[in-house]
Amino acid sequence: MPSDQPSPSRTAGTGVPLHLRGLTKKYQDFVGVDNLNLDIQGGELVALLGPSGCGKTTTLRMVAGLIPVTSGEILVGGRDVTSTPTYQRDMGLVFQSYALFPHMTIAQNVAFGLEMRGIGKDEIKARVRDALRMVHLEGKEDRKPTQLSGGQQQRVALARALVVRPSILLLDEPLSNLDAKLRDEMRREIREIQQKTGITALFVTHDQVEALAMCDKIVVMQAGKLMQAGTPREIYEAPANPFVASFVGRANRLTARGDGSGRYGLSGVEIRGSAGISGNVTMMIRPHRITINDPAAAGENGLSGRLTEVTYVGDLVQLEVASGDQTIMVERSTRSQEALPTIGESVSLNWSAADTMVFSEDAP
Amino acid sequence: MPAAVQKEKGSASLVAMLLVPIIVVNSIGFILPILNLAQLSFKEALVGGGIGEAFTLSNWAILIEDTFYLEVLWQSVWVSAAITLITLACSYPIALYLHRTSDPIRTVLIVLVISPLLTSAVIRTYGWVALLSDNGVITSLLTSMGLNVPPLMFNTTGVIIGMTEILMPYMILALFAGFGRLDQNVEDAARALGANELRVFTRVVFPLTLPGVVLGCLLVFVLAVSSFITPKLLGGGRVFLLATEIYDQAIVTLNWPLAATLSMLVLIVFGLALALYARALRLVTA
Repeated sequence: MPSDQPSPSRTAGTGVPLHLRGLTKKYQDFVGVDNLNLDIQGGELVALLGPSGCGKTTTLRMVAGLIPVTSGEILVGGRDVTSTPTYQRDMGLVFQSYALFPHMTIAQNVAFGLEMRGIGKDEIKARVRDALRMVHLEGKEDRKPTQLSGGQQQRVALARALVVRPSILLLDEPLSNLDAKLRDEMRREIREIQQKTGITALFVTHDQVEALAMCDKIVVMQAGKLMQAGTPREIYEAPANPFVASFVGRANRLTARGDGSGRYGLSGVEIRGSAGISGNVTMMIRPHRITINDPAAAGENGLSGRLTEVTYVGDLVQLEVASGDQTIMVERSTRSQEALPTIGESVSLNWSAADTMVFSEDAP
Repeated sequence: MPAAVQKEKGSASLVAMLLVPIIVVNSIGFILPILNLAQLSFKEALVGGGIGEAFTLSNWAILIEDTFYLEVLWQSVWVSAAITLITLACSYPIALYLHRTSDPIRTVLIVLVISPLLTSAVIRTYGWVALLSDNGVITSLLTSMGLNVPPLMFNTTGVIIGMTEILMPYMILALFAGFGRLDQNVEDAARALGANELRVFTRVVFPLTLPGVVLGCLLVFVLAVSSFITPKLLGGGRVFLLATEIYDQAIVTLNWPLAATLSMLVLIVFGLALALYARALRLVTA
């Protein structure tokens, strides 16, 4: 029977810490997750972020016990659950496809986990009512899942997972089936409920906006490996490698040569960067940190080029500039009143040394 | 929107046109013979296979007065029900495995499931005769091991064994077709909520497969009630079922009106089974 009483390390409002130690999943011909080490504090909402096939869902399913671990350990509140079957792991699971029981009513869906724990009828009734109130679905108790909208179904799934007061909440792309407006709303709601209950949560997503907006910490994965773990700000402002820099937010990727003292040669111009690497380097600059034809920016890193393309995307204008053999993307807010240069015109680009992210050439 | 209305009208007449062939075929090949059978059941049977002209209720009276036919009806229904349940129990695990496996293994297995249908039921029944007879493989093997084997043929046991194997492909396919509501994520959700494998099966998997179960049971029950060759050969004339009795009345005794009456009785049994199915389906998909 999954323990319903909180474990000793768990007090009201603060969730249980989750530790992954050398977690590895090997299939016959490839490695799904490669030696993943992760420390999640109690009550944190952590995003596993990466492109599809990066191993984020595999990681989540291993934590849930739905697929066996090849090697490594999963510790929940210090307790090793690596070989505990799913039904005894005490984890709340929310799927992209909602995965509600179609043959049960909403109330029966939410009550399922409580019934499995042998909780009395009266208490089940009260807790189901509270859980449905938490997700604003009072009065829908006797409906069937198919009678609800996608957003409502995902709320039921959330209530069903949380009503048993699990030690960890696992969310597998919970917002990907919802339309953009609803996704915004649900994002806020999930975050609010997670903070109110103080539960430790792992959130799998391929959407960087979701990860940045909702989570305390982001874990970026690629090809089964951990690329970087940190707060949203750290991930965005100080990416560990070019992969993270281009996956979280947009970034220009340029090749340059460094002399080891923080000076780099780019298209024959000297650029000052954030690190002192010698030899061939990958230089990344966020498009919105570059100014175009700005006289006040003299003294910063500068490059001249020719404007080749202008794309209007609503809140931004994206300008493509050819400089030597490199193409640089610049973004300008459409709020700016200044006239845009015309295509074919030569322009000067400027950005600060702090915004010049430099990585050694062989970084991922 | 005149164009849309016109299009709708056009498609309606197209539907009617497409329905004409099947209506014609069913009327000539199905409805008319049944009506003919129905009127035949109200005719008098004459000695030597003749059919009287006068209207009579005597055939139907026989059904009620002669307890033999009530026994045959009862025997038919319970033997078919037993066959249906045993077929379900044997087929369910196979259908579930088929659902869970993936191509190319699944295709191979489906072909294997269907392959017995390529051989006629007569030949498969003779296969069972060879296996089940007193000096057949199964009996002699069990006897040589010192076991006291009851007769496996020319009794209800033999009929049930043979019919179960012959009807399994239909049950497996019906179940497999009805397993569409099963979803791995839904099962995993139940596991995460604290359900062990047994409870995942009883609370989630089985309820979700009920539409397939109900459909398979209807199909197999109807086929079992109406099948004739296998009960005839494996029952050896000692198991009295509606289908074999109809054959005997029509071919041996040449009493066509009574045969027609018994056929109408089978039709009534089917009607009841269908009503039961509709009710059960409403219950399991509600």
